[in-house]
Amino acid sequence: MRSLFPNAWVVARREYGVRVKNRTFAILTIGLMLVGLGLAFAPLLFRVLGGDEPTRIGVVLQATDPPANAISFLDQSLNGTGGTTATGGGYALETITDAASARQQVTDGTLDGALAIGRNASGELSFDYFADASSTNRSVLAIQSAVSSLVVSDRLTARGVTDLQRVFAPASFALEPLHPDQQDRSPEELVSGYLLGIVLVVVTFMAIIMYGNWVAVGVAEEKSSRVMELLITAATPRQLLFGKVLGNGAAGLTQYLSIVVAAVVGLVAQGPLSQALLNEPAGTTDFAGLTAPVLITFGVFFVTGFILYCTLYAGLGAMASRQEDVQQIVMPMTVVGMVGYFASFAAAQSPDAAWAKLLSFIPFFSPYLMPLRVVNGSVGLPELALAVALMLVFIWLAIIVAARIYAAGVLLYGQRPGFRTVLAATFGSSARAR
Amino acid sequence: MTALDEASFTVEPGRIFGLLGANGAGKTTCMRIVLDILESDGGSVTWEGMRNSELPRRTWGYLPEERGLYTRMRVMEVLRFFAALYGVPEARATAEVEEWLERFHVPDYRDRKIEELSKGNQQKIQFIAAILHDPDVLIMDEPFSGLDPVNVQLLKEAFLEMRDRGKTLIFSTHQMETVEELCEAIAILDRGKVVVSGAVRDVKRAMGRQVVRLATDGDGRGTEWLTQIPGVTITQDREDYVELTVPSGSDPEAILRAALARDERVTRFEIGDPSLEEIFIEYVGRRDLEEERHLAAGSGAPTEDPS
Repeated sequence: MRSLFPNAWVVARREYGVRVKNRTFAILTIGLMLVGLGLAFAPLLFRVLGGDEPTRIGVVLQATDPPANAISFLDQSLNGTGGTTATGGGYALETITDAASARQQVTDGTLDGALAIGRNASGELSFDYFADASSTNRSVLAIQSAVSSLVVSDRLTARGVTDLQRVFAPASFALEPLHPDQQDRSPEELVSGYLLGIVLVVVTFMAIIMYGNWVAVGVAEEKSSRVMELLITAATPRQLLFGKVLGNGAAGLTQYLSIVVAAVVGLVAQGPLSQALLNEPAGTTDFAGLTAPVLITFGVFFVTGFILYCTLYAGLGAMASRQEDVQQIVMPMTVVGMVGYFASFAAAQSPDAAWAKLLSFIPFFSPYLMPLRVVNGSVGLPELALAVALMLVFIWLAIIVAARIYAAGVLLYGQRPGFRTVLAATFGSSARAR
Repeated sequence: MTALDEASFTVEPGRIFGLLGANGAGKTTCMRIVLDILESDGGSVTWEGMRNSELPRRTWGYLPEERGLYTRMRVMEVLRFFAALYGVPEARATAEVEEWLERFHVPDYRDRKIEELSKGNQQKIQFIAAILHDPDVLIMDEPFSGLDPVNVQLLKEAFLEMRDRGKTLIFSTHQMETVEELCEAIAILDRGKVVVSGAVRDVKRAMGRQVVRLATDGDGRGTEWLTQIPGVTITQDREDYVELTVPSGSDPEAILRAALARDERVTRFEIGDPSLEEIFIEYVGRRDLEEERHLAAGSGAPTEDPS
């Protein structure tokens, strides 16, 4: 057996050059960079579009002797002691004397709700909230809980308690999350994480199907243009195959890194931007699931999955005599890729399901499912290591098998071999991978 | 299917060797086996005492019959790529390419895309691709097909240049005149078998006869008298001359003497060996005939009396 290098390197360099100079490649890269940038801005976008303006509530004091501090009490229990916060959105309270006009303003949309405070016959405070909302609405629940405190405060005052500040001092409460890495995730961030997972899957699928086909078509093209005959005189099938996969893999990595750079730029720009748009202090934004473990996992599985698929695509491409036959011949690989793709959409809904876990270890599917699981849940390091190890073993096997198919296929001109011919050529006596 | 069956021949280093055969005779298969890109079921290929599978790839330069280059790459890029596969440093490859483009009168092609070149010019580029790594043996499948006369001449000169550098050239062709002009030795392949091989002179001598071309001024007097001379047969009765064959033992000058004795005005008298074309047709044609008879006998069909 002759050594892989430097010829594999020479082939890889040519493949890389041809690939990155390709216009389709450039357009796709720019498109995906924009997607990456958009994704990085998702949380900010949610906040800008998601109406983080304070909920405006008109308070009508109808009671004959309302608690003197009713407004400030409600404000404090709704917004906390610190007033309007960066994440809360907050509530803006204003006093309105006329109940009818308050209701009219809610109807007009200038107010989000009208809260009428009165006293019933037994002397208890009573509340009437008029708003375009259901009883489970977040703001309704918050107001309900705030007025409950106000009622308690009113009752305590009636019983002569004076140090209300102490009574209502916040309790000492600490949250100990089961999955510490998932704490502090707002619903927006969870949605963004789900979207991120889907985007990673789509990117992987597109790259595998597209580059895989490119590699296969490239091999078939070399065969039909008869460059192949010169190539195999100059280099061994293994050198050619490995060079091809290496060159195309490097092109894929270039694309991936461009996307990552775009996403990182988006994340870095997010702080100053959110300051400008929302008047929030810089540095309070989260990275919306695009964390280092996610990036590394995605990178590793993107590259290894790419190499695994491309190796087999290249081997199959050598079986085609004409470019028109390539699609048919690579169909089995495309089907396997599609299965992983669709499985990962189902898995995005339930990333911790047993079947999703199982599939994420099967090398043809782990490029899709592992990054998804990492985004949406916690995957232990041993699990990742096992999946990567399986990937590497399969890549090694794929190179051996593909080199044999390649060696047998490159000089089989004329007929379009069936599956049986492929097998016979690959494992028969006439095949050899030098 | 058996493309080659016990084909055996020897090529002397430093010579130009012609591999002749009809279409489908097994020339390309033979070359691929020599290059170790096809594996033979048996037999061996050795060069200077080493088996071909042990020889470094740079021993061989190959010009396949089906031409093919990366059509969307530029001439210099393509040639550097193939040179790099053989381990030729880029600077040397560049210099060599420029020298050869100059020699082929196309120095401005270096930055053109392959697809912009005509077939003949692509062929020149392909020839350069085959020799950039300075191979000891150059194997070319139909190198002259599709070339115009000017380019045929350029390529012939390149062949001689390579031979003068001590290279061995093996090529296949249908053009017997080119073989006569360039080759010192040949092998004729027919249906996978080598029917004859060796130095051109020896192959011709082995035919056991000489050829005489005779032209006389006396038109219309017929050629009958020639057949009266012992051992002489007319192989071609052309308008411009008559071609005769004489067994090697007899003296061809007897024909000249006979002509002069008849007061013929002799305008051309030429003694030579049979042409390769004749030899080719004789070997390949004769086998064709035998094959047909064999088939006919095998199928039980009535055979014609061979007399």
